Amino acid sequence: MTAPIRVQADFKAGIFRTPRRAFTDPNVLEKEYETIFSKCWLYLAHASELPNPGDFLSRTVARRPILFTRDKNDQFHALLNTCPHRGATVCRERHGNSSTFQCLYHGWNFRNDGQLRGVPGADRYPSNFRDDPGKSLQKVPRLDRFGDFFFINFSADGEDLATYLAGAGDYLKLVSEHSESGMRIVGGTQEYAIRGNWKLLAENSFDGYHAATTHSTYLNYLKNANGALHNTRLEGTCHDLGNGHAVIEYTAPWGRPIASWIPLWGEEGKQEIDRIYGRLVDRLGRDRADRLARYNRNMVIFPNLVINDIMAITVRTFYPTAPDYQNINAWTLAPVTESEWLQKFRLFNFLEFLGPGGFATPDDVEAIEKCQAGFANAQEAQYNDISKGMLNEGAQSFDDEAQMRAYWIEWDRRIATVESTL
Amino acid sequence: MSDMDLHYRVTIFLNMEADMLDRWALDEWLSLFADDAHYYVPPTDMDGDKADPTRDLFYIMDDRARLRERVVRLNDKNCHSEQPRSKTRHLVSNIIAKRSGEDVDARASFVVYRHKDGAADAFVGHYVYTLEDCGDTFRIKSKKCVLDMEALRPHGRISILL
Repeated sequence: MTAPIRVQADFKAGIFRTPRRAFTDPNVLEKEYETIFSKCWLYLAHASELPNPGDFLSRTVARRPILFTRDKNDQFHALLNTCPHRGATVCRERHGNSSTFQCLYHGWNFRNDGQLRGVPGADRYPSNFRDDPGKSLQKVPRLDRFGDFFFINFSADGEDLATYLAGAGDYLKLVSEHSESGMRIVGGTQEYAIRGNWKLLAENSFDGYHAATTHSTYLNYLKNANGALHNTRLEGTCHDLGNGHAVIEYTAPWGRPIASWIPLWGEEGKQEIDRIYGRLVDRLGRDRADRLARYNRNMVIFPNLVINDIMAITVRTFYPTAPDYQNINAWTLAPVTESEWLQKFRLFNFLEFLGPGGFATPDDVEAIEKCQAGFANAQEAQYNDISKGMLNEGAQSFDDEAQMRAYWIEWDRRIATVESTL
Repeated sequence: MSDMDLHYRVTIFLNMEADMLDRWALDEWLSLFADDAHYYVPPTDMDGDKADPTRDLFYIMDDRARLRERVVRLNDKNCHSEQPRSKTRHLVSNIIAKRSGEDVDARASFVVYRHKDGAADAFVGHYVYTLEDCGDTFRIKSKKCVLDMEALRPHGRISILL
């Protein structure tokens, strides 16, 4: 008889251990889809991706093909991309603009709010067939937005989005305040996969402890590149934001397009960054402006939305297709209007660290895949140790592991609802 | 010089470049690039030939300085994603080369295999080169690697040079 796949925590003794079978067991994956991905609010898209009436995009969320549309009245709809007739996906484009969708199979035709318009051979159906809700595209049970961030929920019941986001809401707001012009997703998605369990990427995305070893070549690069560093220490804290969400917030020596200048950017860059900072202070006051300009934030919104506001902003979400495989989509968020100089340097800065071709992410991918390889020993070596900082007094440091503990406690709480079947 | 000569010289040059990459002779490879050179891998969810590195999110946009740092990193034993090094095989074919003013524009199809840790991943696409003709050889002013894959799956990374 094996031990239940649960977190072991003893805060007085400084013990926090997560079961490695949580990364390898196919039953756990199915329970995660049942208790987490079918119950939690999941990130769908950013409003800037559908700027005009008629715009749509199709996207896979929690293994389901989803069609996200904006109708002529600027109402947004999250539809299950499957024909009510015989099941085919009615939209096969990734994005575009269309007021209707026609299934390729038998030609059923739908408005972009999901309502059935017509079918070939309509005389063989009752005259009021258009009023049958079972013959229109089905909606995702819940769609809601927080600012320009759209989320969906496959469960009709449960807390509303703002309640679910808890303390993470203010951080979503913060990342939307970079510019008075608003924020937009830049063209080009980084779509990749990792041969490792999805929770490893959640952990890695706000792990302040691994940089010095995993990313030593990136830190060397910053030292080599003339003027890529300023004289700021890597230090900060970690905040539990409730409901499994957490963030690390810290200063770092690298440049931030909002608004932390490095010599590499030259005089033109300095003037630009000074202007941006000045506008931030005018608009938000000095405290919030300083927080935006000087502090980096790596946030994970449970279960799988990462918003890292570091050398650029990355928005990242990921879903498992197997215990040891996940698909990742990553975007970058930028001001709606900014100078050509800043746009170019923002993208240049993003790619220096982030993404499958960056100087850091490939080594994260390697670390995650090697963790997964090590978990093949899970029958004997059963637990990960997530106790760093646990017995220390005062604020948790950004390179402690309190943020992961917050995440795992929520994971454990949700998985516990089906413990008996594991 | 005839088109046939140009085609022959470009073919030899690209084969030599591929050979350097497969031998991990990265410093030698870097010396093929001009001082103001760029190396690009556009995103996979838009038309890679039309994507603009100053407006769109690429996988890689290196100027010459960052390309040098990329080589420095790949030569470092702490570049974990390529330690131990993967085996790569760069296959280059369907080469088309034509003169464009002082320079030569070249296109070629590629398949780059990466073998490591039991995985075999293929990167498939086409190269777009701008080459400076130095008479006896060429210097790369720009190399763009446009991928055909719909996403970097299952690869997860472009930790090698394409």
